[in-house]
Amino acid sequence: MKSSLLLSLALGVSWILSPESLVIAGNISGQTGWLTFPSLIGVVILYVLCNQLLRTEGLPPAPGREFLILQHGGGSITATTLCLAACLPLTVLAGTALLVTAGYTLNEVFLYWFPNFGFSFLLLALLTILQLLRKEYGLWLQVCFVGLAMGGLLTLSLFGVFSPDKPASEILRQSTGFSFSSASLLLLLFVGHGSSLEQKARPFPLALTTGFIIFFLWILASLGHVSPEKLATSTIPYMTAARKILGEPGRQLMGVVIIFGTCGALNGLMILTRNIVDTLSREKTVPAFLSSKKQRWVLPFFLSAAIGTCMATGLAGDELLESLLRSALILWLLYYSLLCLSAVYWVQKVSAAIPYLSLFCTLLLIAACITLVVGDPHRLQMSIFIFSVLFAGGLLSTCWYFIMRHHKHAP
Amino acid sequence: MKKLFVLLAFFLIATTLPALAADVSTMSKEELKSRLDSPDLTILDVRSGRDWSASEFKIPGAIRAPGEQLAVWSEHYPKDKPLLLYCA
Repeated sequence: MKSSLLLSLALGVSWILSPESLVIAGNISGQTGWLTFPSLIGVVILYVLCNQLLRTEGLPPAPGREFLILQHGGGSITATTLCLAACLPLTVLAGTALLVTAGYTLNEVFLYWFPNFGFSFLLLALLTILQLLRKEYGLWLQVCFVGLAMGGLLTLSLFGVFSPDKPASEILRQSTGFSFSSASLLLLLFVGHGSSLEQKARPFPLALTTGFIIFFLWILASLGHVSPEKLATSTIPYMTAARKILGEPGRQLMGVVIIFGTCGALNGLMILTRNIVDTLSREKTVPAFLSSKKQRWVLPFFLSAAIGTCMATGLAGDELLESLLRSALILWLLYYSLLCLSAVYWVQKVSAAIPYLSLFCTLLLIAACITLVVGDPHRLQMSIFIFSVLFAGGLLSTCWYFIMRHHKHAP
Repeated sequence: MKKLFVLLAFFLIATTLPALAADVSTMSKEELKSRLDSPDLTILDVRSGRDWSASEFKIPGAIRAPGEQLAVWSEHYPKDKPLLLYCA
């Protein structure tokens, strides 16, 4: 029971502890100051309400709950398309971005002589090998990655909170006002927290609560040491804050957080993708060689080859990666929003009453998706990417659907 | 014979390219440190994407000029003053 709780938590917070989340949290806290805290509380409450909706009595049980809910709302092809669009681009693009960041961190913080790109590829190779081993090894190492990253970040946060450079009254004065687009960005901090939904239903939203405590303390520590302008504009606000809090040891501790946070995030995303694809395989909406027993030798190689190709072809050194990664995160949010919308539809049909609060939460999520695309300077690029992914996923799902139908009716 | 020709061509290209680049002078860390405040020296950070954003090391006062936009930014700087480009 305790071990399953630990594994569920390690998967649920994997993205929360990634360098990308720390950049978003740092930039938003710099932009909105202390108002980040009420926004963060609002985001967590929204996710808790949505998770409650997905666990409503009468909805299908785990595993495969998400696919069945989406299938009920929009059919097999739509459900398969959304599931694939939510996990594949995110794993590949986040993998590319995070590995490059980890490579720079090792090179600049620990070993000047070690090539940053070499470390990125080494980490990719190690994480691929981990996926080839038995699933339990990957899950327990996930606990280690997340534990080290969380321990480092909490240590820095507590040092920062208990020895602030500025009085609390000054932090409370730092605010430029609330904006819906900033609050929408905070939604992206909790990507994949629902991977624990595949486990037994829990009355307590463990990953969300842990994520909230981590971000609350870290943002408080950052605002207490670094100016909001610096936090808002820095590309590595986590390192700026760590250096201010503990000097060189703080920098090294943050280096550990970044490297293990990257391992945890990528390993977590790979496990999440494998779980989703396994569900699709059981539902026969993707080929059988992607089922849990056989996918070990296919999917990790495919994902690693895609990440390796992105790194080798220079995508990491291209501004395009940032907008593609943001689009992939929005695709996950869109998947989650439509999952909630399908659940609302299901509950309404079963209970013959509209769950207004759940519907309101779902509409807020959809509004956030639209705001994130429309409010971005690269909105055209992002829209093209999102539609291309959905189109490609739809095309593949449709082809496989007709192949399976033909196969079924064949004599 | 064909393989030999390809190898010879590769050897020629590999040895000629650095020779062509030899006209571009380099600056040592020490020299750069001593000239950091010089108004004549323009420092350009030609890294882009994650190469720039994930790196902690950025020379104070350096201007971002991503390598792929060379044609755009190269027009803005005087040709008679030293331009220092760095990418790592």
